Amino acid sequence: MTRPSPFSVCGRRALLLMRDEREISILRRQLNRLGMTISEHDPAEPPPHQAADVIVVDADSIPIKSDLATAWKVGVPIIALIGTETPSRLKWLLDLQPASFLIKPLRSAGLYTALVVAFDSAQRRIDEAAHIERLEDRIRSRRVVFAAVLQIMRAHDLSETDAFTLIRQTAMRHRTTIEQLSAEIIAVGGMPNRNTRTA
Amino acid sequence: MMAGEMRKSALMAVDEINASDAFDFAFTPHLRDPGGVVTAYHTACDDLIREEHVDHIVGCYTSASRKQVIPIVERTERLLWHPARYEGFESSDNVIYVGAAPNQHVVPLVRHMLDHISGDVFCIGSNYVWTWEMNRVIREIVTSAGGRVLAERLLELGETAADHIVKEIIDRKPPVVFNTLVGESSYSFMRALHAAATRAGLVIPMLSCSLCEPELKLIGSAASIGCITSSAYFESIDRPENRAFVARWKARHGADSNLSVDGQSTYVCVMLLARAIRRAGSAEVAAVRRASANHRYDSPQGPVWVDPDNNHCFLTPRLARSVPGSRFKIFWEADAPERPDPYLSNLDLTAFGRGAEKSNDAKRANHLRVVK
Repeated sequence: MTRPSPFSVCGRRALLLMRDEREISILRRQLNRLGMTISEHDPAEPPPHQAADVIVVDADSIPIKSDLATAWKVGVPIIALIGTETPSRLKWLLDLQPASFLIKPLRSAGLYTALVVAFDSAQRRIDEAAHIERLEDRIRSRRVVFAAVLQIMRAHDLSETDAFTLIRQTAMRHRTTIEQLSAEIIAVGGMPNRNTRTA
Repeated sequence: MMAGEMRKSALMAVDEINASDAFDFAFTPHLRDPGGVVTAYHTACDDLIREEHVDHIVGCYTSASRKQVIPIVERTERLLWHPARYEGFESSDNVIYVGAAPNQHVVPLVRHMLDHISGDVFCIGSNYVWTWEMNRVIREIVTSAGGRVLAERLLELGETAADHIVKEIIDRKPPVVFNTLVGESSYSFMRALHAAATRAGLVIPMLSCSLCEPELKLIGSAASIGCITSSAYFESIDRPENRAFVARWKARHGADSNLSVDGQSTYVCVMLLARAIRRAGSAEVAAVRRASANHRYDSPQGPVWVDPDNNHCFLTPRLARSVPGSRFKIFWEADAPERPDPYLSNLDLTAFGRGAEKSNDAKRANHLRVVK
């Protein structure tokens, strides 16, 4: 799977959650220049159904104690527009986990950087989540690997180190993972004979 | 209401300067009234600069309106003289902040509360940046001193139906209520709580860092009494400059009219501006900004001067209790004008208690005496 480069923003969809007409017009003009498509939505209304690749939210347009804020946390990268730098407002903003931000008043410069940083950090988050899931899978199957090692130790009268080496080498030869081979070992009650199957 | 008070004070200052031999120039006021409509401030300010060619703008009560004006004064290198206290965390080179910074309004009030009332506080306020930030500061100080924020209740701006919160307060009987409501919300809440507390035979102290004399009159005599308020200005300040100022005000606006902190602060804005222009020999913004730095003015509220580090003012924090007759009785004031700290960078939480101790009345009563 090829990943979209964070630098190519053309064709991506931006959802604007803003109130200030002047600031909206600055973003609209700049997003058009970048070839992005734009949809707009009132920040005080529940989230719309249309999909977006990035959400631009004016932090000052949503009250701090509002359930609406959390409704926007839908996995799409968020660019926060910041006017008020009080810690109470920033704490609320951190809960939204913005991928990048812009300081108001907006200018034409800065938006492209904010978009690139947002797309890049969103991709990193996806990669990291996938990596963590793989690690968690391996932790979950530790018990299975341990049981398989024990089985091979008993069946072939091997030390723990040698039994694990045998499983690891067999897994490599069969082009499978240690965890998968271990599950098979337990299922068939010994080292499976892979010669009869295609790996 | 505040906008009217501020305009009256600004015009009074302009008239005094124009009539005075001490200034060899005269001000021409250009008035715009965006009427509290946030987006209209941008247009009004733009119009003042483009059409009237003004260099200095006095005004803005709310932070939302100030944030509309700042981009224009920064872009066009003008100066906004801002009279109102606010929640801090801002410092523009093109704004002179004449109202109190958080270390000058909320911090002394919370210190007094911990020292003399209780560490357990019930907070009620309007749902916007002022309350959010006041609540954060209160919570930070109170919890570090071992106290508790019992509740944080919010009403939408302008909302006057607060019966459910009044009932909760009467039921829970908190030792103290911190009120950061503004305008009609605050007035009707104070009336309702006073009535309910009286019926229940309760006396619950209330704290505010925004209440002012004209508001006491609006709330009504019974319900407005006894509110402990933090402010850099009260009409009852007993200084020759203030007695003369109040007399001039009453001669102009009637014996039964009252001054407010924001009105007085607007007057101070215009006076600081005039004195800086006189010192600079020019109304040009950069020269005026330089001339205003550290230039002491003995104002009605006492000595005031601009701290060039952050363009906020040295002011004297005061605490007072509202009494009958729409007045405040001052019971504490700082020994000297306090350096503004808009980012609360120098807030020393250890000075309020011994850190994260659990709420314990005996212990707290003991260590709260440590506070200055």
